Amino acid sequence: MPSVFSFPRISQLATLEPSSPSRAWLTAPHPTLPLLATCSSDKTVRIYSLTTFTLLSTITGGHKRSIRTCAWKPNLKGESVLATGSFDASVGIWRHYDNDMSPKPKEVLSGLDFDARDKAIANGEMGENAEEDDEEEWRFAIVLDGHESEVKSVAWSTGGNLLATCSRDKSVWIWEEVGEDDYETIAVMQEHEGDVKCVAWHPEEELLASASYDDDVRLWREDVDDWGCCGVLRGHGSTVWCVAWEGVVPEIFGDVEDGQKDLKEMWVKRREASGPRLMSCSDDLSIRVWRRRPKEKVQQSRLSIIRSGSSEEDWIEEVQLPKAHSRPIYAIAWSKSGRVVSTGGDGAIVVYEERWKKGSIDPKSKKTGDQTNGVDGEQASGKPEIVGAEPMEGVTKEAETTSEENGQESKETEAEELPEATDWVVVAQIEGAHGVFEVNHVAWALRRDKNDGSNVEQEEELIITTGDDGTVKVWTMDV
Amino acid sequence: MAEVLNANPTIRNASDLPSRRRQTHARSSSKYPKGLISSTVPPSAYLPDPFSPSSSSDSELSDDDDAEIEPIDEQEIYDLISPISDPEHPLTLGSLSVVNLPDIFLTPTFPEKGSSSPLTTLTVLITPTITHCSLATVIGLGVRVRLEQALPPRFRVDVRIKEGTHSTAEQVNRQLGDKERVAAALENGTLMGVLRKMLEGCENGAG
Repeated sequence: MPSVFSFPRISQLATLEPSSPSRAWLTAPHPTLPLLATCSSDKTVRIYSLTTFTLLSTITGGHKRSIRTCAWKPNLKGESVLATGSFDASVGIWRHYDNDMSPKPKEVLSGLDFDARDKAIANGEMGENAEEDDEEEWRFAIVLDGHESEVKSVAWSTGGNLLATCSRDKSVWIWEEVGEDDYETIAVMQEHEGDVKCVAWHPEEELLASASYDDDVRLWREDVDDWGCCGVLRGHGSTVWCVAWEGVVPEIFGDVEDGQKDLKEMWVKRREASGPRLMSCSDDLSIRVWRRRPKEKVQQSRLSIIRSGSSEEDWIEEVQLPKAHSRPIYAIAWSKSGRVVSTGGDGAIVVYEERWKKGSIDPKSKKTGDQTNGVDGEQASGKPEIVGAEPMEGVTKEAETTSEENGQESKETEAEELPEATDWVVVAQIEGAHGVFEVNHVAWALRRDKNDGSNVEQEEELIITTGDDGTVKVWTMDV
Repeated sequence: MAEVLNANPTIRNASDLPSRRRQTHARSSSKYPKGLISSTVPPSAYLPDPFSPSSSSDSELSDDDDAEIEPIDEQEIYDLISPISDPEHPLTLGSLSVVNLPDIFLTPTFPEKGSSSPLTTLTVLITPTITHCSLATVIGLGVRVRLEQALPPRFRVDVRIKEGTHSTAEQVNRQLGDKERVAAALENGTLMGVLRKMLEGCENGAG
């Protein structure tokens, strides 16, 4: 456990080499392998190793204009499939046998022994001649035509069978893979009134979120036979650039002791009923967290898809993150451990954590916040420099409030009126992550360049940023 | 200004346009190929090929320019954009008073953080010749492209319609402020053809 006075610091681990000569838009970490795919305005996708931080291969020739977005298909073994979306209005599906990518010791790597292969990759035993082989091994399997203008985002459903795409043509398309390299359009949804900037799938359900130039976030799901809009999240004052889902198992940072445990339980219970939350970032410089208000019967079961009746979803804006950016926020990402990172036109990287609230938990309750540690009042500050300096473990000291919350719970069936038990705080930030350039994208990836085995149980998360300077940078969070 | 028909715009005499003493410092005017801009910006940044990604030239610029040899001022910005031609008239945006020196604002991006950040926000307000000018977006795009290609990447360029001068200003502002749309527009051959023509007068001897 870190000392009371420690807090994370962002430091650069590597710059992927060589970089794109022109603006890079987005970098997608592979779901299982230590690979990154970076799409660039030079109409290529670069595949980098996350163990050696070098270029493995370059995907070229498929698109006529900037490649704006790409996404790895999940749940595959032995093969990688990448979807690309371009300003040329088309979506490409690319395939690559993982073994091709491969490292030298063929006897280990030719089979389906993924552990051995991963180990070899982790050891940095990537074939030096990988690049020359790989160029041809990325096969442009199929092009998905249909959008009328620039494709801005593509996303695979968690199961991998559905692909969502969106475009400046204001539409969201859903494609289903019906056979090998055979995709069918199963929905074209046109409710947005402006460019659709981003699509993202719920991590457990076939529920899609989209962000738009019309300032709205929309939710889409299949109701009986038809896909349709099942929710509109309004609140942003300008273009919503990106939406990101919370991981399946959220964590609130800091420990809860004694008296606060009941409150924590109530929160966790509500979380489970609501499911993963959604976060959105915007040109209006805000980041908002949205939470589903579960329907009565949904509370009993997590299989909310099965419920009958209206597919309308009831979502509320739960909170806004502390303001930390001075230019449009282009990207956010929610890490497995529950941290959030954001970046944008100001070139800053900002990391946030949700922590158990300090001091008085609920202004409505009788508690007056006379806690012994006396640190309340600094959280929720709009000034990230201050909150970032707050020691992480200071949170553990507060306790109290619970007996009264229990009393409240009985009359509030949905626990909607739970006191605000958590705060989002800026825990780390740096400016000028890509020098004077804007940063277009940020993602989390598991660290794969260390293989000493000492850290296996504790997965270290890296921050991957992609900038207008064409570079992709890898950052660690030191404590 | 609002009364003026687009077909018959008010034209300012060239000698009335704001200009830095043309003799004292060679950098102020685009007529002087040895000015600051031409010396700090490689010729390739000047639209010889609008289809090549503009950021490639940006990246070449970054290192040299960030050392801030000389600050770039509003007049300099004006000189960059005033020679842009109106897409409809054989006249410049300067002579049509679409761009005006008092409507150019340079501010540090993080004034509250002191001088630690090198970023500078440049706001240019443009005044369309008539309030319903359908070419306002194209004009704004021309100004933004010109500035992004000529200025070092530490500048954040915001081009907007001056308040009260256009019926759909908000819509135009949104488009001009949308990085993704601007990037895509620069890959649109037809539009780039129009922009290239508008920017012909700006080439500053770079060929």
